[in-house]
Parts: sequence; C-alpha cells; structure tokens
Amino acid sequence: MKRTLSTLSGPLGAILLIVVLMSLAMVVAGTSPIDGFSALFLGALGGRNELGETLVATTSLLFPALGITLAFRAGLFNIGAEGQLLMGGLFAGAVGAAIALPPAIEITLLLLLGAVGGGIWGGIAGWMKARFGASEIIATLMLNFVAAFLALDLVSGPLKGPLASGAETAWLAPQYWLPTLLPHTRLSIGLVVALAIAVVLQFVFTRTVFGYDLRAVGEAPEAARRSGVDLRRLTWLSLALSGAIAGVGGAVIVTGELHRFNTQLSPGYGFTAIAVALVGDLNPLWVCVAAFGFGILEAGGLAMQASAQVPKDAIHLIEGLIILVLAARRYVAAGTEVA
Amino acid sequence: MTLAITLVVLTLIKATPIVYAALGGVISERSGVINIGLEGMMVAGAFFAVIVSYATGSPVLGLVAGIAAGAAFGYVLALAATRFKVDQIVAGMGINLICTGGAAYGLVLLFNQPGASVQVRALGSNYWALVVLAFALAGALHVVLYRTPWGLRVRACGENPFAVTSAGLNPLLLRTYAVVLSGALAGLGGAFLSIGELNLYSEGMTAGRGFIALAAVIFGRWTPLGASGAALVFGLFEALQFVLEGRIAWLPPSAMSALPYVAALIALAGITGKVRPPKADGVPY
Repeated sequence: MKRTLSTLSGPLGAILLIVVLMSLAMVVAGTSPIDGFSALFLGALGGRNELGETLVATTSLLFPALGITLAFRAGLFNIGAEGQLLMGGLFAGAVGAAIALPPAIEITLLLLLGAVGGGIWGGIAGWMKARFGASEIIATLMLNFVAAFLALDLVSGPLKGPLASGAETAWLAPQYWLPTLLPHTRLSIGLVVALAIAVVLQFVFTRTVFGYDLRAVGEAPEAARRSGVDLRRLTWLSLALSGAIAGVGGAVIVTGELHRFNTQLSPGYGFTAIAVALVGDLNPLWVCVAAFGFGILEAGGLAMQASAQVPKDAIHLIEGLIILVLAARRYVAAGTEVA
Repeated sequence: MTLAITLVVLTLIKATPIVYAALGGVISERSGVINIGLEGMMVAGAFFAVIVSYATGSPVLGLVAGIAAGAAFGYVLALAATRFKVDQIVAGMGINLICTGGAAYGLVLLFNQPGASVQVRALGSNYWALVVLAFALAGALHVVLYRTPWGLRVRACGENPFAVTSAGLNPLLLRTYAVVLSGALAGLGGAFLSIGELNLYSEGMTAGRGFIALAAVIFGRWTPLGASGAALVFGLFEALQFVLEGRIAWLPPSAMSALPYVAALIALAGITGKVRPPKADGVPY
C-alpha cells in the first residue's frame, strides 16, 4: 500500500491520478475518455479565446491559492479565502463605481482596496485567534457566510447600481478596467500581478526573517515562541496578509473581468484554491503551475459539459479526491524520510 | 400566542439537523478527530436518502441509505485520520468537496437536471419522530460518553491516546468507530433535511449547517447535551427569520440570515479560553 502510494508522489503522479479519475467520471457519464479529454483540452487550449478563459480562471485561482499558501505555511488553516475574495471584490467594486480619479491611480487604488477588504476579513479571524485563541478554522468558515450575506445586502440596497437589474453595483467606466493582456480576450494584466505576488512570496519565504519565522511557527510553534517570535503578531499578520492576497484577487475579478461587483463573483474559487495550494506543495512557484492546471479543468470543464455531456461538477468531485490523496501522499513521503 | 407556538415548533424543526450533526461533532472530537467534513456528510446523507427513496419508493429505506452514506464518508475520514495520519482539516475539506461536487454530478447523471432532484416520497408527518429522536439521542449519547466504559475509552482517546494503548486498547480502532458514528449522525441530519422537511434534494440545501454544528460543539463544551442546547439556539435564529420575515421592514432579509454566523463568531471569541477542548483533539496518534 505504502509503495503504491509513494509512486503517486510528485507532480507527474498527481497528473496521472487526475487523468485516471477524469476518465472514470467520463465513462460513468457515458462518454469515451478520448472524446471527453479532447473536448476538455479543445475547450481550454484550442484557441486564443479558450486560452484566454483558461488563464482568467488561472488568475482567479492563483490569488486565493497564494493567500492560502502563506497561511498554511504558518500552520494556520485559512478556509475563508472565498469570503476574502468576495470582500476584496466588494471594496473595489463599491469604490470603483463611485469615484473618478486618473485611471492609473484609480486602478492601483482599487487593487489596494481589494487587499484592504480581504485583509480586514482575514485579519478579523487572525485577531480572534491572537486575542482569544479562537479557532481560525471555524472563524474563517463563519466569515465566508457573513461576507456572502453582507455583500448581498449591500448590493441589493445601498450599493446597488442605479441602472442595475439584479444585485450588483454600477459598472466601472471603461477607463478603469484593468488593461487587457491578451488582445480580444477577457484576460487582464491581473495575471501578471498574481505572478509577481508569487515571486515576492517565494523571496519572502526563502530569504527573509519573516518567512523563516512563518515556517518556524508553522512547524514548531513552541520552539519559535521560545526563540523570541511574537506568536500573536505573527498569527494576525499572516492571516491578514493571506486575506489581503485573496482580496486583490477579488479586485482583479471586478476590475478585469466583471467590470462591476456582483455576488456571483466566485464559483467557489476560494475552496478550489485549497487544492491548488496543496498540489503546488505550498511552494509559490509550483502553486502557479498548479493554478494553470486547475484553470484548464475549470475552463475546459464547461466545454466538456457542453460538447461531451460530462457534468462539469465532476471536476469538484475530483478536486476533493486529489486533496485526500495528496494529503495521504504527504504522510507517506514523510514516513519514508524518517525510515 | 400562536406566534409563540409557531416559533417553538419551528425552532425544534430547524434545530434538529444541527443537533444530529453537532452530536456527530461531539463524538468525533471527543475521540480526538476534528470532523470538518460534517457538512459534506450531511450532503451525502441528504442526497442518498433522496436517491434511494426515488429508486425504491420507500422513504424509510432512503433514511437508512442517508445514514449509511454519512457513515461511509465517516469511514473515509477515519481511514485518513488513523491509518494515513492525514491532516484532519485537509481531509475533511476534501470530503466536503467530494460530497458537494459528487452530488451535483450525480444530479445531472441521474435526473439530467442541475440544481435539484425530482420530488420523491418523503417521510411525511413521521418526521416528527426524527425530531424527538434527535433530542433522545443527545441524552443517550451523554449517558454513553459519561456512564459507560466505552464512553470513557472514547473520551480517553481524545485526551491521551497513549494511555489508552497502555491500558491494552487500540485508540485507532476506537477513533474509527467514533468517526463512523459521527458520519452516520451527520448523514441522518442531512436525510432529515431532504426527505424529512422536504421531499427532494437541492444543491446548497445544507447551507453550512455542518459548520454551524462545529461551532455548536464548542459552545456546548464538547458535551452532547451542551452541543444540543447550542444547536437549539441556532435553530431559534433560523426560526426567527421565518417568523420575523416582513415584520421588521428596516432589517434586510439577508442580515437575518447572517445572524447565526455572526452570533457564532461572537460566541467563539467570548467562550474560547474559558472552555477546554479535548487535549488530543485533532492530533494524529
């Protein structure tokens, strides 16, 4: 059993596993894996538009996944990326629709506001953990729901756009949209922002005292405390930063794709991002690769559903299985190290 | 007066699924395994109860299937937590994704429609028996945990599994039993939602009750009676939404929906530090 599992280690094993599981889901739905996969890949990579949509999904997953990576590194379970993404988007959308500054300044401001929104939401959980010792798992989970209801209330009432038919803010004027990265697609330079954050995080983790403390706290909190790390400060700070990174993602979705805020901003990116962070082994650069892989699944899943009749929800089922198996793999890898 | 009666009745009904899940949370955490997959196990229970009721025409068999489905995912978590020493939170989140994604996939495969199943035969007025059973089980579980040798052993697993080993027992086996039972209870809670209160499965119908149950476990200080009491309070919040809907004009409807979660957050901050979780809660053995 151990041997079979350890052959699954490494990104190649993860890909193999995904292929096998996907084939199974396709066969059950009555489609041959060849038809299913060709629909998936054509839908994800078959042309400029398809590639654009895949990279849009990659971007939307990458922000929360990087935030989660930071928190997990500190041994903190941030399961609230979904709510942090939403709050970041809400802050950016509400202000973006209301003010008019020079475009470059306003766009920068909106992305920063996204960080503030997500940062506050992560920070609340961090403060509760640091101040009261409250479980960040429960706190971030609850905050997801609070964010969803709060956002719904605000955009149904006070923040609702004057011309909006549903629950959404007014549209951003076109000069405040994030510049397009790939012409004639919805892909914005948000992807570049996400990749830059990944590089910065990699540097922080490997080359700074803060990154070292983060890992020390994650792996041996008592030892870290005794060596002089301020546990409380590090706890709220890493959850706030984690939320801030996810929050920028929300602002990028608003300014780059939707051009307004509505509550359907995320179809569960914050939860899928947990799988992305784990597949990327909590290493920011691998997380980027993993986000692209999951971007293919998200974007191609829709095409697969349309042309090969395989329900796209199969993808979430598979993500869950991947999380379970990868978590088991970690144990096996650790076990072999000891032996 | 009628309003008060409506409120009490609604509170009991709304609290019931949370009580089941919270009892599942208590037994699991008492044995040392945090079951964050309660939400997914409720989904599995709700989904399979409908499927089997649809296939056999018997809601009772559906109920059994719901319990079994929850127990099966409980076993998955138990395996992950005991044999593979997987991080319990990660495994639980994985189970949540598997169950919600799997149910959505199943809906399209079986009923060829996303969002909701067709209507199936439900328990009808018999569902009152499940309301009573929830509170009876709370009492029973309290007795089992505090008055029987098995209960003592389970609690010992959550405090100090090494001591359990020195007493010649297998803490991994005890944890497995506890987590399977936990899943069965969550599955029962889910089945109550789909074929008790309603007669179909619809996506998102568990609406975070499995997570609310985790909070109820904390407020109930990891005891069955305490957790059920906390579940009643959450049930009251939910019932208030229905009773007050439209009566308070200035209060937006989703603010009412957010109330249980905000209350959970405030209580979480207020109570932590004053209560002590089982010592080995969440720690792999």
